[in-house]
Amino acid sequence: MNLKTSFSRVYSFSAAHRLHSSLLSDEQNINVYEKCNNPSGHGHDYFLEVSLVGEPDKKTGMIFSLSEMDRKINEFLLRLEHKHLDYEVPYFKEHISTGENIVRYLWNELSELFPPDMLYHIKLWETNNNYFECGVDV
Amino acid sequence: MSLKRVLITKKFEFSASHRYWREEWSEEKNNEVFGLCTSPYGHGHNYELHVSVTGAIDPKTGMIINLSDLKKYVNKVVREFDHKYLNVDTPYFMESIPTTENIAGVLFRRIDEELRDKGDFRLQRIRLYERKDLYVDVWREDK
Repeated sequence: MNLKTSFSRVYSFSAAHRLHSSLLSDEQNINVYEKCNNPSGHGHDYFLEVSLVGEPDKKTGMIFSLSEMDRKINEFLLRLEHKHLDYEVPYFKEHISTGENIVRYLWNELSELFPPDMLYHIKLWETNNNYFECGVDV
Repeated sequence: MSLKRVLITKKFEFSASHRYWREEWSEEKNNEVFGLCTSPYGHGHNYELHVSVTGAIDPKTGMIINLSDLKKYVNKVVREFDHKYLNVDTPYFMESIPTTENIAGVLFRRIDEELRDKGDFRLQRIRLYERKDLYVDVWREDK
């Protein structure tokens, strides 16, 4: 029997954004994004589930040090915490700050923080009713 | 598109205490690696366990497994952990630390044993929450 194990932690950050595409007219933007196109923006408490995969270490019983994981991710998330994503995070000058694009951005950035192939899955909750996933088995 | 698999999942809960400590390490090293989890008499959590079973859907009952049977099989395992000090009251953590990763590994193997040869189903995946913001998945790799 071949078993795999992943370890997951849940983090949160709060940020503002506005969905607006420069490739669409104002009218088209309103039709596509509706209330998310509100000119002055709006915000969410995002919740982010981060899963690492690997064999639990024989000595520590851990896939990766929990405190180090928290430190790395919390430090990274300061770039988004209480920011307006479109104005204050350079990536979203080029990309619309949809959940899809945020989760892709997070996947690329977070995978750099861990040994190769250790980041396995991330799930970004934008509200209680919608979430976006990126990962190896998605 | 072919349907890959159907999973049925039931939730269980147990409360237990544990301590992270390696005898051969100094106190300093234990504290550095395990932090608060080294507290000398252990500390506890309300664990939440999600047990997911896959198999053929019985054409007569429409079920993969009868949930009351699943409950009976899994509770036999959960009773070994509920209201126990995992380091001392269970035989599984003499050599290994009862981290969520290791507890989930033991639970998968024990539940898999209990379900074996009971019907046309098998344990596919478990998820063990230590708290709402920390969980471990263990699953059977296909191939």
